Amino acid sequence: MAATMSSARELTAPPAWRTVDFISDLHLQAGDCQTFTAWQNYMQTTPADAIFILGDLFEVWIGDDAVCEAVTAGPGHQASFENRCADVLRNAAAVKTIFFMHGNRDFLVGEQLMALCSATLLPDPLVFVFNRQRWLLSHGDVLCLDDIDYMQFRQQVRTAAWQQAFLAKPLAQRQAIAGEMRAQSEARKLSGTTLVDLDAAATREWLHAADASTLIHGHTHQPAEHDLGDGLSRVVLSDWDLQARPRRAEALRLTAQGMQRICLV
Amino acid sequence: MSNPKVELHIKDHGIITLELDAAKAPKTVANFLSYVNKGHYSNTVFHRVIPGFMVQGGGFEVGMKQKPTDGEIENEATNGLKNDKYTVAMARTNAPHSASSQFFINASSNGFLNHTAPSGSAWGYAVFGKVVDGTDVVDKIEGVKTGNKGGHSDVPQTDVIIEKAVAL
Repeated sequence: MAATMSSARELTAPPAWRTVDFISDLHLQAGDCQTFTAWQNYMQTTPADAIFILGDLFEVWIGDDAVCEAVTAGPGHQASFENRCADVLRNAAAVKTIFFMHGNRDFLVGEQLMALCSATLLPDPLVFVFNRQRWLLSHGDVLCLDDIDYMQFRQQVRTAAWQQAFLAKPLAQRQAIAGEMRAQSEARKLSGTTLVDLDAAATREWLHAADASTLIHGHTHQPAEHDLGDGLSRVVLSDWDLQARPRRAEALRLTAQGMQRICLV
Repeated sequence: MSNPKVELHIKDHGIITLELDAAKAPKTVANFLSYVNKGHYSNTVFHRVIPGFMVQGGGFEVGMKQKPTDGEIENEATNGLKNDKYTVAMARTNAPHSASSQFFINASSNGFLNHTAPSGSAWGYAVFGKVVDGTDVVDKIEGVKTGNKGGHSDVPQTDVIIEKAVAL
């Protein structure tokens, strides 16, 4: 199952941008206040001109209507977790540019949420031109070719037909399904399956096709820099987990001076 | 000119009579009467009931189907009317001027809902009238059993239905 990359979309940073941040794999969920608070603080205080969220910001996303339920609020209404996340995105978008890429968990984030938060949905992959350098951005799941089960699942759920059918279910039913899927995923993790990394050959192909030298991605939760030969490399973002010990929260920052990892714990 | 009155006929519970303060809340009263007169509130429910706080309705049909509304109205919470017990005020989202058809009746004096500043959550909720008859019906609604329904919390388990709203 080859992952071909047809001409990727390109985004060129405006000259005014001095600092650009990349984050991914926060897996925000209602049960984890610490990670949410850390993310909220980060979005408010980062000096970045633009933030690229490269997938799995949310542990699960069952549809933009989870946020649009806000129309029924009244006095003393406790905003849902989705509302609170949308507020963070919207407040950040007021002062910086926010970009969002689908991950394998939150691929149902749609244009409604983007419009609500004044954020921009990016295709995967995307070529980002900054400081006269070309960076290839991706969540990374598409390149994990050896994860056969996942690739089959992905092929199914990324079709318009599957998504329309799912989103047509009542909100409460989608919440129940999400709960089941989360439980299955946790069980799979506990059974100690080995993590599939990105296919090196496919990654090199993508970089050549994009005329880029570095891929920035998330998904594997294994932060590192990998030399792929030929002057090509891939940089892996850290996931966030403020409940884990040691805590994990990190942003990758690009400036004219280069690339650095910003520790946020 | 006396203040307009509206009766809310609540199935199996009785009639709540509201006296609307057209002088202090002209836009809110006009908006409310517009919904009353075109029958918008018929067959809607009190969908959010929190004892000791308030009972809210006017937006959903039986079955928790949201009814379409007209445009949003200006928040008149600066009119000096307080969210005292048995006053009626407009519900809205976090956006200060987002009220349309939903309203609530205060089940206690909720001072924290009053306007204190024209910004964010201090904007407050616009009071536009009060219950002048049927406070016992309000008390009965306040006391119904509630639970979660369709992603909403504090929903009466047995529908509390406004059969009709009548301008007197």
